[in-house]
Amino acid sequence: MNPWREKLQLFMRNGKGMFGLVLVLIFFASALFAPQLAPHDPFQLNIPARNSGPTIDYFVGTDQLGRDTFSRVLYGGRVALKIAAIGVSVSLLIGLVLGMIAGYGPRWLDNALLLFFDTVRSFPTIVMALAVVALTGPSLGMVMVIVIITSIPGYGRLARTSTLALRNADFITAEQSLGAGPVRVLAGHILPNVIGPLLILAAMDVPVVVTIEAGLSFLGLGVLPPTPSWGSILNEGYMVIRDTPWPVVAGGIPLVLTTLGFTFLGEALRDVFDPRLRKGY
Amino acid sequence: MTAVLDVKNLEVAFRTPLGPIFALQDVSFTVPERTIVGIVGESGCGKSTVVWSICRLLAENGEITGGQIRYGDSDVLSFTQQQLENYRGEQVSIVFQDPMTSQSPVLSYKRQMTDIQYRRPDKRNKKVTRAVEAMRAVGIPDPEERINTYPHQFSGGMRQRAGIAMAMMMDPGLLIADEATTALDVTMEAQIIQLIRELRQDMNGSVIAVSHNLGLIAELCDQVIVMYAGQIVETGTVTDIFHNPKHPYTQALLECDPARILDSSRRLPTIPGEVPNLMSAHKGCSFAARCRYVVDRCRQELPQRTDVSASHNLHCHRHFELETLGVLAQSSSEPALKKGYKNSSLSKVNGETNKLLEVKNLNVRYQVLDLMQKAFRRDSPMFVDAVIQASLSINQEETLGLVGESGSGKTSLARGILQLTGTAGGEVLFNQQDLISLKGHQLKHIRREIAAMFQDPVGSLSPRKTVGALLSEPFKIHGVKLGSVEEEVQELCKMVSLPLSFMTRYPHELSGGQARRVGVARALALKPSLIIADEPTAGLDVSVQGEILNLMSSLQESHGLSYMIISHNLPVVRHACDRLAIMYLGHIVEQGNCDDIFTEPAHPYTQALINAVPRPDPDKRRDLTAIRGEVPSLTNRPPGCEFHPRCAFAQDLCRTEPPENHELNNQRFVRCHFPLIQ
Repeated sequence: MNPWREKLQLFMRNGKGMFGLVLVLIFFASALFAPQLAPHDPFQLNIPARNSGPTIDYFVGTDQLGRDTFSRVLYGGRVALKIAAIGVSVSLLIGLVLGMIAGYGPRWLDNALLLFFDTVRSFPTIVMALAVVALTGPSLGMVMVIVIITSIPGYGRLARTSTLALRNADFITAEQSLGAGPVRVLAGHILPNVIGPLLILAAMDVPVVVTIEAGLSFLGLGVLPPTPSWGSILNEGYMVIRDTPWPVVAGGIPLVLTTLGFTFLGEALRDVFDPRLRKGY
Repeated sequence: MTAVLDVKNLEVAFRTPLGPIFALQDVSFTVPERTIVGIVGESGCGKSTVVWSICRLLAENGEITGGQIRYGDSDVLSFTQQQLENYRGEQVSIVFQDPMTSQSPVLSYKRQMTDIQYRRPDKRNKKVTRAVEAMRAVGIPDPEERINTYPHQFSGGMRQRAGIAMAMMMDPGLLIADEATTALDVTMEAQIIQLIRELRQDMNGSVIAVSHNLGLIAELCDQVIVMYAGQIVETGTVTDIFHNPKHPYTQALLECDPARILDSSRRLPTIPGEVPNLMSAHKGCSFAARCRYVVDRCRQELPQRTDVSASHNLHCHRHFELETLGVLAQSSSEPALKKGYKNSSLSKVNGETNKLLEVKNLNVRYQVLDLMQKAFRRDSPMFVDAVIQASLSINQEETLGLVGESGSGKTSLARGILQLTGTAGGEVLFNQQDLISLKGHQLKHIRREIAAMFQDPVGSLSPRKTVGALLSEPFKIHGVKLGSVEEEVQELCKMVSLPLSFMTRYPHELSGGQARRVGVARALALKPSLIIADEPTAGLDVSVQGEILNLMSSLQESHGLSYMIISHNLPVVRHACDRLAIMYLGHIVEQGNCDDIFTEPAHPYTQALINAVPRPDPDKRRDLTAIRGEVPSLTNRPPGCEFHPRCAFAQDLCRTEPPENHELNNQRFVRCHFPLIQ
């Protein structure tokens, strides 16, 4: 029996996980196909119809400049996807490599890397973002850098602990006795055993990253107007909340659904791949 | 005689995502009063499932689908939660396999043992007294003091004694020992067997002993139940089973036990095939696929119970038929074996042979405190010595056995030789080349010559790699280009008789024996001249042990290999090795020809080890108190001869003066002031 098929079967039976997967797929599809799906140009102004509620033409109304909120939400998803995909994968990669080196390497290197992880971790994300943006000015690239730097320690720590648990395992000693060097041991034998829990953590981190971007954009430190992002939609909606609640609702719902989707998916993956947490079935 | 426990037609199934597993089918037996009943069988035969069913402690996905369990007059299966809580611990209690994980590490024994008595309305003082008495009964010195300690402060054997004390304290009607000695050394095992035998006299209840160790069953039990694939195949008194086994499975199991084969031969009998998985309810006899007397009827019909005598019954179609043919009669005597495999290399020992590996005064020490910690704790030593001044040599095509209790430094010595751990003085000469001074590239080259096999057959294979990838890895590491790697890998598979269809499997999909074969194949890949095998048969069933040892010896024949086999299993060592080295607390205390050592041990420790091995013969039960105490801690070495506190022959000189290693005769070395032979 192929272990992957068994896992797939387990996953298919997990209702919450499937729900999460559907949400995640919708998130990806809506972001990727935003130009095809959007009924309007997200930048096109229609001053007479500003701050309107939902109509046939504008599904969830317009903002204070008369731009179609639905189209802006779709395009905002592209920013979120970019941040999530690039930010999470780059920080995962760096964290994984550093963590494995810390776990497998000599004691002094381990201590040095741990010191680095803990130093980075001790900065509150938003405060660090404020400081960095104050120096460089707001941009999407800067948001990405902040996301990557602040997420590395989490992955690094996890990779280090898992590596430490494995480094004295029999099969690692067996590889060493065959003459395998550290690179082969790390890439060929430790990596496949460490990557599973890290990928699950990454899936659960995606919504965190998306909300960091939204938060920074809300504060005016993220993407620059007029580029739509969920955070800036919320921010602009917040200013007109006394006239119309629709922009806030429209900007908030995808954020909530993405968070739910990735969290459910991550939890389901964890249940499937980590049998220790699995309940009797 | 009334029955304490009566199990009738018990059926248990486990739900899994891939469908149900029918773990027990139609299991019926009774446990009479004041008897010790043993349950034997290979792993995966349902021994433990029986135990957990009796306690109603099956895993969440396990379900008792039919049958009856009666304890005395009450029906265990209809107990309410409240009744169950009163039943467990008071009526039925368990001694677990691993005392380290089955005792709470954060509570003192006093607390744990008074907690067990929570159902009793007694005063606290009385509970403590009862706990102290229970500890005294299992032979723990100063129980008044020791009861305040925690499990980690006890050694393995003491912990298991305390486990027995806890189980016995409430005077249960039924005590279950589930592989109670499996995690212990032979010497401790002998002590625990002796303890249970002694306790039995003052005990009112019965005992169920579950074990795969035939020696233990023979030494301990009155009645024996043999299980195979979730069914009982044979039941009888211990003499019935060991001297007059009727079921082909029982016979095969007994034949496989190396302790029963007195001739030292390299070929051990095996049971081909493996225990069937119980996913589908099979018709016919479950043993049919591996049975050497199988006929068509065995595959079609489920055998019914046949009574041989009042106490002895079995499930086999062909029993009477085979009886009249006389096939079964001979098997109870010593099995016929091919001989002559062993002495091919023995004859060379006296002549001039090429020393392949020579270890001279090797030391291995581990740092326990770093400089900072040492500054604060001046009294405690910074290092522990795991191996002290060890010298040994292995000739070409020779097998050296390294034997000792756990903690004697066997594995450290092997790692020292393999350069997997730092050494602190001494020489390791391989083909006259000192390995300790080698670095990087040169060392990598030597790794092709010395291969290693590790204790855990599955755990020493990288879990996310397929068998194919694992087998081709040695070639990749060393960049060997010999035509195609694939052909080489197929060649390897053929050598260790591993089907090619296994190439895409992952280690966890292999049985212990199959995983061991992959390990052997990997060790052989680079055509080494020496293989260091750490417990090559540990964790394998007796039937598979023989297979692996036979494989290793035939590879030795065909490839001219030398082995160093590390083991605590003396019967196995006896069949596999030409020479032996016995280790105690980091010293090699005796070295010499295997047969000489077994017939005439020179060191008292060797003698004690040999005597401690349980004999699978109920008529030869003996007093097992040959060795007292346990291996002392490495940080607290006794002065003089390290063995003197446990030695029956210790004299004043032994307590003060460490003995020298001297040669007796015929390459026999012993490290003792007063060796048992001159």
